[in-house]
Amino acid sequence: MTVFSLYLHIPFCRHRCAYCDFNTYSGQEDLIPAYVEALCNEIRQVGRTAPNRLPVHTLYFGGGTPSLLPAEAIGLILETCRASFEVLPDAEISLEANPGTLTLEWLQTIRRLGVNRLSLGMQSAHPEDLRLLERQHDFFDVSQTVRWARRAGFENINLDLIYGIPFQTLARWEATLERALGMFPEHLSLYALSIEHATPFYHWVARGLLPPPDDDVAAEMYEKADAMLTQSGYLQYEISNWAIRREGRLWVCQHNLQYWLNEPYLGFGAGAHGFVEHLRTANVRSIRAYIERLQTPAQLPFPLTPATEQTQTIDPLTEMQETMMMGLRLTQEGVSRQRFEQRFHRSIEEVFGPTIASLVNLGLLEWRGERLCLTQRGRLLGNRVFMEFVDISAP
Amino acid sequence: MEKEFIRNFCIIAHIDHGKSTLADRLLQITGTISDRQMVEQVLDSMELEREKGVTIKASAVRMLYRHSSGKEYELNLIDTPGHVDFSYEVSRALMACEGALLVVDATQGIEAQTLANLYLALDADLTIIPVINKIDLPSARVAEVAQEIQNLLGTPPEEILAVSAKEGTNVEKVLEAVVERVPSPRGDTSLPLRALVFDSHYDSYKGVVAYVRVFDGMIRPEDTLRVMSSGIDFRPVEVGIFSPDMRPVSVLSAGEVGYVATGLKTVSECRVGDTITSSTSPAAEPLPGFRHPKPMVFAGIYPVENEDYERLKEALEKLQLNDASLVFQPEKSQALNFGFRCGFLGLFHMEIIQERLEREYDLDIVVTAPSVEYEVVLRTGEVVRIDSPALLPDEGLIEEIREPWMVVQIFTPMEYYGTVMDLVRRRRGIFREQEYPAPNRVQLTFEIPLSELIVDFFDELKSRTRGYGSMDYHFAEYRPGDLVKLEVLVAGEPVDALATIVHRDQAYHKGQALVSKLKEVIPRQLFDVAIQAAAGGRIISRANVKALRKDVLAKCYGGDVTRKKKLLEKQKRGKKRMKMIGNVEIPQEAFLAVLGLEED
Ligand SMILES: Nc1nc2c(ncn2[C@@H]2O[C@H](COP(=O)(O)OP(=O)(O)OP(=O)(O)O)[C@@H](O)[C@H]2O)c(=O)[nH]1
Ligand code: SF4
Repeated sequence: MTVFSLYLHIPFCRHRCAYCDFNTYSGQEDLIPAYVEALCNEIRQVGRTAPNRLPVHTLYFGGGTPSLLPAEAIGLILETCRASFEVLPDAEISLEANPGTLTLEWLQTIRRLGVNRLSLGMQSAHPEDLRLLERQHDFFDVSQTVRWARRAGFENINLDLIYGIPFQTLARWEATLERALGMFPEHLSLYALSIEHATPFYHWVARGLLPPPDDDVAAEMYEKADAMLTQSGYLQYEISNWAIRREGRLWVCQHNLQYWLNEPYLGFGAGAHGFVEHLRTANVRSIRAYIERLQTPAQLPFPLTPATEQTQTIDPLTEMQETMMMGLRLTQEGVSRQRFEQRFHRSIEEVFGPTIASLVNLGLLEWRGERLCLTQRGRLLGNRVFMEFVDISAP
Repeated sequence: MEKEFIRNFCIIAHIDHGKSTLADRLLQITGTISDRQMVEQVLDSMELEREKGVTIKASAVRMLYRHSSGKEYELNLIDTPGHVDFSYEVSRALMACEGALLVVDATQGIEAQTLANLYLALDADLTIIPVINKIDLPSARVAEVAQEIQNLLGTPPEEILAVSAKEGTNVEKVLEAVVERVPSPRGDTSLPLRALVFDSHYDSYKGVVAYVRVFDGMIRPEDTLRVMSSGIDFRPVEVGIFSPDMRPVSVLSAGEVGYVATGLKTVSECRVGDTITSSTSPAAEPLPGFRHPKPMVFAGIYPVENEDYERLKEALEKLQLNDASLVFQPEKSQALNFGFRCGFLGLFHMEIIQERLEREYDLDIVVTAPSVEYEVVLRTGEVVRIDSPALLPDEGLIEEIREPWMVVQIFTPMEYYGTVMDLVRRRRGIFREQEYPAPNRVQLTFEIPLSELIVDFFDELKSRTRGYGSMDYHFAEYRPGDLVKLEVLVAGEPVDALATIVHRDQAYHKGQALVSKLKEVIPRQLFDVAIQAAAGGRIISRANVKALRKDVLAKCYGGDVTRKKKLLEKQKRGKKRMKMIGNVEIPQEAFLAVLGLEED
């Protein structure tokens, strides 16, 4: 049976961080009530047009800053999801939160409402990094939020960290990692800073005010982090993600696994993306446009909603390519020969034989039994691998 | 028309002084084209020319003009190519005329090309009508420029026309002056036919269309004709005039300008400068001055994708149909596989061909650094000619290497004298003389090896003189030089396409500069890549491109797979444009690295 995932986008932030190019807006918080209404509306519409009550095993409040929503709003959204879909009893319900935007009481409420995984944007422990990134919190806010979250009953906590920040030294990065490990999170996501178009960082680098990230330094930080995390009992399961083995379980993020395994998900909210029935969908990005579109009811075939702005049909070959490109990010699991064949009724060699052989030759891929995985070196050179599975012959 | 009512003239001007704009106005005033048809710059019909702002192919338009005396005249305006690389073509076009409008920009004054073309026109005995253009501009210095012209030609100021081609001011006077001052053509209709081919183009229905000026005799469509230098006989498909479209006529007689559609398949069978005569009663002597302009600059052109080889070949063949001075032959490079060694009249000609291949034929190509043709005297006494540095024989076998030297005229405001002298010295130039043809302007004459000219010289001149400097050059002679082959090794393998021939004194410096430039442009690979420069069998410089350590999207884009893919696609496209040499990926700009080497 196919199980689904739901992504809920909350595009509000108090202040836009200097490196961020996500679909999020600051200074539009007065639109939150109308937005929540529109979001629930969109969820209900899809629930109605779905061929059956879809079983859902993960929900993810992403942003932006979902922790800017009042607890009641979260309750309302969850209620709507449960009414529209078959949310499984043990579903993973994650929420991204920014330290300094929430209270103990708020955490207790959302925990009670069913949120069971908290992802905190810690980014760094060092005030200078945080200032450069224009984060609106300090390390104390992070540790306090983690303490409150534990007290509120969260057993599954992730910390997001950024490395390769200009001026960040290896020692400073180690200190951040140590501080993060000191809070015993179940999960860590480590992202290399990249300079994105049209962000303040982009302009600063272009004008020579900021040194561009150095890939060699970033590589060193990555390797250092891997060593430290491994030593503390974490297992790297994806290029940027580590989970701890604790209480007989590996605390991976089920929701993100859905993406990497190229399994179906529905995206709700401004700029949200979905992938169901061989169709990729993308919603309008602007908050106002999103709210407006959902004011006029329309009967659209599943999974479209009035907010859908783009759709792209994924043909079988593309789906196979994407399955490789995403699946190989999973550093332990890789792409299973068996699963591939079950899904596409063709063998992986038949479709990608020569490509795989050449990547194995280059020392970037390896077979571990029936699973095709990145090699240790390949983890850091992933693009060289994924690239071989995208098609540029079409315009 | 009677010869006395015919005037054949051309316009000579420095680039951008307004030749095309003036030509447009003349066509408009004479009603040759209606205002509605008046697309800007009819004479420059190729898109590329417009963008480059230079006329590449000449053409000839017949206009009918009623003079104030009430008589009607046939005015043939012959367009001339505007760049030094095409000076032979210019000289042939000039030969077809009796007069020339010398257009000078009122804000710029006289420039090197104005002079170069003027001297050609004077050599061809043309009557010169000086025209100062752009008088509508506030910065126009009409009196000053008139003075410059008077100094140069002795034309009294009242005979110098001051016009605005753009606004049409005084353009009518230009036509009057053409009628009144340009002599009517001479020539005798009763003599055997002699017609000068001053340009041509290829037409897929009519074959090579030769643009001709009839000197003696007549051409009729039913005659059998002969191309004198090749002896090829043909029956014309059509004989006609440009007005401005091709229009058939029943006869072209001595003094007239028009075209002959020859039905021939390649322009090389009927070259510019050749004489067309009658095959039944041929002329005894061809018209003087015919020669083959020889290619001076050579470069390898390779498809980025090996499978585009055939397409590249076809494109070059098509270009050659219209351009007899483009030569090419297959070449194989270890580094770049199959491609073509191409010869061009000059660097500028090369650029045009490169752009047309890329733009009109949509080809991804790699062009290697340009080279000149060397004469290599071997110990055995044998002399071999080499236009590709990779082919230079082993040093031990060589007695002497000779390279082509050019005479260069540089025309610049006085204040840039020092920096121009410095540039020339750095490029092994030898100063010959200076002249002051215009106030505050100096014309410097040098001798310089062509190999130094084709590497960024013109750009450097422009930048050192803030755009005011201009130049003209022509071949002088071959001279021996202390030259060595500078080789580049990537990952231990010599890359033939990166080899150059340099003066021994410059080898060390150039080798170093080349290696550090290559280190910059060669992206990091999955392994360390050594780059070395060697001259005379010794490594003179080395650098290492360190192995790539990190290349992965370690950022979270949620469910936005499309975006991830776009990034990968972009990266993959970039990678695909590179050339694989051994297992090293080398971007195209590396092959031009030799060009951009620092001056100091
Ligand atoms: N203000 C003003 N501009 C003019 C005049 N004549 C030409 N121009 C401008 O000068 C520029 C060059 O004119 P062209 O007619 O293309 O010059 P050209 O000599 O044919 O240049 P090539 O084709 O590059 O040889 C264009 O931008 C014209 O619009 C004029 O009388 N007055
Ligand atoms: S909090 Fe997160 S989503 Fe908001 S601006 Fe900062 S990085 Fe972007």
